[in-house]
Amino acid sequence: MTLIEPFERAWHHRELIRAVVRRELTSRFRESLLGWVWAIFAPLAMLLAYTTIFSIAAPAVAKGVSIVDYAAASFCGLILFNVFAELMARAPTLLHEHAQFIKKSIFPSETIAWTSTIRAMVYGSISFGTLLAVRLITVHSIPWTALLTPIVVIPFALLMLGTSWFLMALGAFTRDVSHLMVSIVPLLMFGTPVFFSIEQLPANFQPWVRLNLVGDFIGMLRDLVIYARLPDPLLYAACCIASYAVFLFGYRFFNEYKTVIVDVI
Amino acid sequence: MSSDVAVACRNAGKAFQLYMRRNDQLMQALFGWAKTFYREHWVLADVSFEVKKGECVGIIGRNGAGKTTLLQILCGITRPTRGSVEISGRIAPILALGAGFDGTLTGRENAIIGGAILGLKRSEIIAKLDAIADFAEIGMFFDQPMKLYSSGMVARLAFAICAHVDADILIVDEALSVGDEAFAQKCENFIADFSRRGTILVVSHGLDYLKTLCNRVIWIDAGAVREIGDPNKVIPNYIATVRKDAEDEAAA
Repeated sequence: MTLIEPFERAWHHRELIRAVVRRELTSRFRESLLGWVWAIFAPLAMLLAYTTIFSIAAPAVAKGVSIVDYAAASFCGLILFNVFAELMARAPTLLHEHAQFIKKSIFPSETIAWTSTIRAMVYGSISFGTLLAVRLITVHSIPWTALLTPIVVIPFALLMLGTSWFLMALGAFTRDVSHLMVSIVPLLMFGTPVFFSIEQLPANFQPWVRLNLVGDFIGMLRDLVIYARLPDPLLYAACCIASYAVFLFGYRFFNEYKTVIVDVI
Repeated sequence: MSSDVAVACRNAGKAFQLYMRRNDQLMQALFGWAKTFYREHWVLADVSFEVKKGECVGIIGRNGAGKTTLLQILCGITRPTRGSVEISGRIAPILALGAGFDGTLTGRENAIIGGAILGLKRSEIIAKLDAIADFAEIGMFFDQPMKLYSSGMVARLAFAICAHVDADILIVDEALSVGDEAFAQKCENFIADFSRRGTILVVSHGLDYLKTLCNRVIWIDAGAVREIGDPNKVIPNYIATVRKDAEDEAAA
């Protein structure tokens, strides 16, 4: 397997991926009156709720940061964490959901990870757009470093793809994986710096939390969008390499079991 | 593979893994290198044949002989456990009509996805949408969610999509039993017409139909090829054997 094989396969099936993503995006709000307004309303309501609650409660965790920044930083964390949580909770059942496709037609099952990741990223970017708009209103500026968001989001997406492939294959064999993910994903929120930042933890904890790549990406996204600084190059490079490794491993693992999976689900 | 061969199946065999307990599948995936957690069940033992371009080949055999598994291997849905299958050209599998449609989407939208699965570009499919709607004869329902369709309409649309992807090889699995008499006739006409320009592999229990359509017939028995050749020879042999087995069973 070459380093770019997963991309070549995805490019080969780009028409299918595009068609399925389009379907996933349109069918979600298909029979609702307000349609896409819901996609914007949900994150907006959440962000407003956070800002309000934090400004009333002014928690100890927000020490040294303005309430507005703290709410924005938490929301930044939630955006990435929600993408992660949605994908992890869904991945183990994805192949079961698409069993009809996979068993009865010539459907390239590895594209499912692409479509579900792209779908989650689209909803994430709607939330992100909401965040930017609210920042414009509350602090009247967005730092130029926010333009560099893609350099954080792309390796993050590769991490999500790799993990999806791995969990999809594993979930095909046993439903327990799905139950496991549904139970542990909410717990992972405590191990991920969503409502706090890594620097606030005791020094001897920090390296362990750093192992959680999602948390590192959250930190880097906050750097770019809220604190107007570039991420630590060493940390960034390490995250990119680790994410790419997960991406390749997930793809390989999935392909290894792809043939068996058709007979199993 | 010489250039006039459309489908080459060489010593293809397929074993399904039978697991006694549900989680053994996971154990096999994780620890399969150390221990085997399943028993093998060979659905196809050893199948070899070649189909030349432009040929129309029927596949016959009793229930459970392995016909559907063979078609799935040929389409690439499942890989053979041993042996190999080579295909040259684009396949349109007419296996389970309507599998994989999304009920909340319209027929038009499902047609675009169906075409993409079969390897068509968006622009190519869009150019053919009118022809597909015409062929399926579903009228204004083409722009309605597919959950409103009758089962016959779903099958008609599915067939129409397969019929419009400019395939080189058509693989048909008794799909014609769906839809009313008139549509079944239309499908048969399409297949007869297709047989003049493309390659066809068709599984059917309609033996008279196969006699008129095919130039060769493959008889699959217990996962292996029992006989290949002229339909007018193989089919009578098949019928004779089935009758004889039925008599033996009655006598026993």
